[in-house]
Amino acid sequence: MPLKAPVQAHHFEALGTNCSLFAVGLATGRLLEGEFWVRRMGARLTRFCPDSELSQFNASTGNWTDISPELESLLRESMRAFETSSGLVNVAVLRSIEAVGYTRPLSEGQPVATTLRAAPLPPLPDVLAVRQGAARLERGAGIDLGGIAKGWMADRLCDSLGPNIVANLGGDLSARGTGPAGDGWPVGLGGVTVLLRDQGAATSSVRRRRWSLDHHHLIDPRTGLPAQTGLEEVSVVAADGVEAEVVAKTALLVGPEIAPAYCAAHALAWWLSP
Amino acid sequence: MRSVILRAGATLLTVLATALSALYVTSHLKNPAAPLQPTVLSASGATTLSAPGGTLTLGPSVQPSNAQPVTSTYAS
Repeated sequence: MPLKAPVQAHHFEALGTNCSLFAVGLATGRLLEGEFWVRRMGARLTRFCPDSELSQFNASTGNWTDISPELESLLRESMRAFETSSGLVNVAVLRSIEAVGYTRPLSEGQPVATTLRAAPLPPLPDVLAVRQGAARLERGAGIDLGGIAKGWMADRLCDSLGPNIVANLGGDLSARGTGPAGDGWPVGLGGVTVLLRDQGAATSSVRRRRWSLDHHHLIDPRTGLPAQTGLEEVSVVAADGVEAEVVAKTALLVGPEIAPAYCAAHALAWWLSP
Repeated sequence: MRSVILRAGATLLTVLATALSALYVTSHLKNPAAPLQPTVLSASGATTLSAPGGTLTLGPSVQPSNAQPVTSTYAS
């Protein structure tokens, strides 16, 4: 039985969800720094605050706009996600998600179910261009970074706070190092404990953030409507947090027939729940 | 006379090939509503565990453990 090193844990609410940091050999002050960074980034990347950097970018359609290195990195990550998911992960989803009624944080009340009208999303490269320090969004388009931002933040937290840490931001998590017992960080996945070492995990689901039988937050870019694919929840382990988020969402969107083969090509472990 | 026949034959062949190509392309138009198909693979070396509510598959680089998890991935 390997000796277990003490684990420092720090829990907080941010990004509209529960967040946790676990580390071995790290001062509590460093975990607090991590929390403050998450809060700062959350304030800059939320679509619900008109003063946030993301909202101001969404409001500047049609023009090249200066953006921070963090937003630039996230937008580039989003372009990669679009490519690797064959277009199924498309952050230009804001207008569709607003159209189904999700216009305010759930903490401020349930969204009102709207009449659903199919409107497929345009390909992301058709509406978003990114260059060093600036980006341009086509008129009528809007960005919601959603889970990609959480996975990206979890990865960045591990980069800055590592080398032996887990950052879990509302289920999007990144694990670095060998964990408390030297064999990896024990993490729950589909009711089983798995050991993660320099890997990420994420869950994509239509069971949460749902406000009617047909209305939930996960938009299928092929229709612009809430996804109905025969899968309700997918959890994935991948190389890092962002990749796990992208693979989990893509697997949910391709549905139960293709998801196992898709996950076999892109994930290290996966939980599929119909 | 022979060269005229050859030219006429070549022209006819070109026109025929163009017409057939056009026919083929117009009858195989890309369907924008077709489902997207990302790369797939068979899960070799993976272990599939039955669990309540779904199926869990572990690739060779992810090991199960009896340890208490410090945290979990979940939908939020």
